[in-house]
Amino acid sequence: MRPGYRVRLAVSLFAGTAMFLMALPVLAHAILLESSPSINTSVVGPSIPIKLRFNVRIDATRSRLTLVSPDASTQLLAISKDAPADILASQAQGLIPGEYRIRWQVLASDGHITRGEIPFKVTQP
Amino acid sequence: MARLLQIFGFLSVLFRGGTLTFGSLTIGGIVFLNFVARSANSPSEAVNKVCLRWIRRAAIALAVMQMAYILASSLILMQSADMTMGDVSGANFVLAGILAIASAITIAVLVGVQSPKIYAVMLAPAALILVSSMMTSHAMARLDYRFPLAVVTALHQGATATWLGGLFYLLIAIPRSPDNQFARKLISRFSKLALISVAVLAAAGFTLSLAYVGSIPAIYGTSYGIMVATKVILFGTLLLLGALNFQIARSPSAGSVIASLKRFGEAELGIGITVILTAASLTSLPPAIDLKNDRVSRQEIAARLAPQIPRLASPAVQDLPEDVYAAEVTAFNGGTLSSASFVPGQAGTRPNTPAEKSWSEYNHHWAGLIVLAIGLLAFLAQTKHFPWARNWPLLFLGLSLFLFLRSDPETWPLGPNGFWVTLQDPEVLLHRIFSLLVIGLAIFEWRVQTGRVTSEGARLIFPALVAVASALLLTHSHSLGNIKEEVLAELSHAPLAILGVVAGWSRWLELRLPAENKVRDRMAWLWPSCLVLIGLLLLNYREI
Repeated sequence: MRPGYRVRLAVSLFAGTAMFLMALPVLAHAILLESSPSINTSVVGPSIPIKLRFNVRIDATRSRLTLVSPDASTQLLAISKDAPADILASQAQGLIPGEYRIRWQVLASDGHITRGEIPFKVTQP
Repeated sequence: MARLLQIFGFLSVLFRGGTLTFGSLTIGGIVFLNFVARSANSPSEAVNKVCLRWIRRAAIALAVMQMAYILASSLILMQSADMTMGDVSGANFVLAGILAIASAITIAVLVGVQSPKIYAVMLAPAALILVSSMMTSHAMARLDYRFPLAVVTALHQGATATWLGGLFYLLIAIPRSPDNQFARKLISRFSKLALISVAVLAAAGFTLSLAYVGSIPAIYGTSYGIMVATKVILFGTLLLLGALNFQIARSPSAGSVIASLKRFGEAELGIGITVILTAASLTSLPPAIDLKNDRVSRQEIAARLAPQIPRLASPAVQDLPEDVYAAEVTAFNGGTLSSASFVPGQAGTRPNTPAEKSWSEYNHHWAGLIVLAIGLLAFLAQTKHFPWARNWPLLFLGLSLFLFLRSDPETWPLGPNGFWVTLQDPEVLLHRIFSLLVIGLAIFEWRVQTGRVTSEGARLIFPALVAVASALLLTHSHSLGNIKEEVLAELSHAPLAILGVVAGWSRWLELRLPAENKVRDRMAWLWPSCLVLIGLLLLNYREI
């Protein structure tokens, strides 16, 4: 094998392997700035408005809000189409007292996907 | 499922870096053809041909990278949000990708038209590639000043492509020039174009920094700020090389002038691609200006960087979590993880245990000792008075063995998971392959240093690998929720990467510059100095 090819082969092999090693923590950049309900707070049920505000424009059509109930069952929440570009809004109804979580996943307008969770508690009116 | 998403996730970062690099090469080639090669008084057929050949290759590679990027990102979205291909197809990143693919294919087809009139036509799809890249930039997701920022981003990327992409074409055009005078004319024209590009790039970069970083504390207090600072430092290195080139290009004709220009150009291009990879990493970080909480303060940085005695005693393996990944998933399901944002495929952010931090510090400190010894021996070897010191590459064998044993403590031979698990877990498998590659590098460079291998190509393997590994360290960003520990880790890794880039390219220049160029002697001392500094920085690496 010619030395030039050997150099290219070695560098390519190394670069390929190193890239796989180093690119493992993939990140994106939609950050949750504030939410209602806020993280680890209590709200009065059975009907609660949900509002999540991000630092960037969100593609609401391709974003998801899921409610995780105290019994671990999940329910996909309908996302409002009229909210401002940086807000995901919805409404959860018929909530009994207990520990809930909202799982969110957003697609930012620049193509990055991010997700997170908001744990909260529902109390009796 | 989580593993699948993880694989798609890291592939999409890889494809993003490839897209930016090949996009720059395509745009830079078309600009070079129109404003440098074509403007020469009597254009050279050979120069035009080789430029067109590489423009086509870069355009095809760009189209392939974009397809792969769309596919990986679409699969992530479909898997993680339970969507169909139809749901995903209208997403902004898909539309931007299709635009880039169509533009790249158009360019590849136009290259086949045997007429110089087509060169100017190719500028239109080149501009559309820039528009496509702009569509997936930070600017498009901003709430304020969206379009002005998009224009500034396009100027920044266009100037980068013209300068660094164009430089590649200058390097391949010089050897095909009909004579030295023609080559010097190309260099002179390109220098002017590069000067304008650098001015636009710097002005646009400064504007974007004001918009996305906004303050001095955000520079050192966030991952985004640290990466921007790293880009600025590398940009400074590029300007230095560019200034050396400019000086040589304006000097009276001499035999080694063109050879020197080419060699500096190679280093400039290599560092330039590193800057582009850093930019790819920046696009996946939240802008510093959006991160108001949990920024690292000057006092915290000073406390972390204050010199301390290295940790040379390791915690017991039994003190570590058995399976880090499983521990994260368990913590996530139990609701004990941070509620900060993370991407599909990651289980969330779990703070390291004290034992894990001590384990990591011990690893870094012993690796630092080995690298320090390598640097000092390389220094001695350069004096020519200590021939035995030329065996310094053999110390990499120790580093390889150390990494093999310590990087995955939960697997064989230290942990309970058997050897065959290494074949099932992609991360562990890749660590093992990495250790093998270091062994190969050690043996190869030892043969070079001791005169067993003398070919020019073989001698370049070591500097090329050091430069590539360091560049990749910069694509490895750590923070999303800006957890302080991760920012502090970034702060210690960025100088290591910069020193590695300088070490790799200074050794490259030592080997490649003509003997009569005095810069070569300075380069011979620069790279061992960088290795010594890397060793010292590793010795002071801390997580506690």
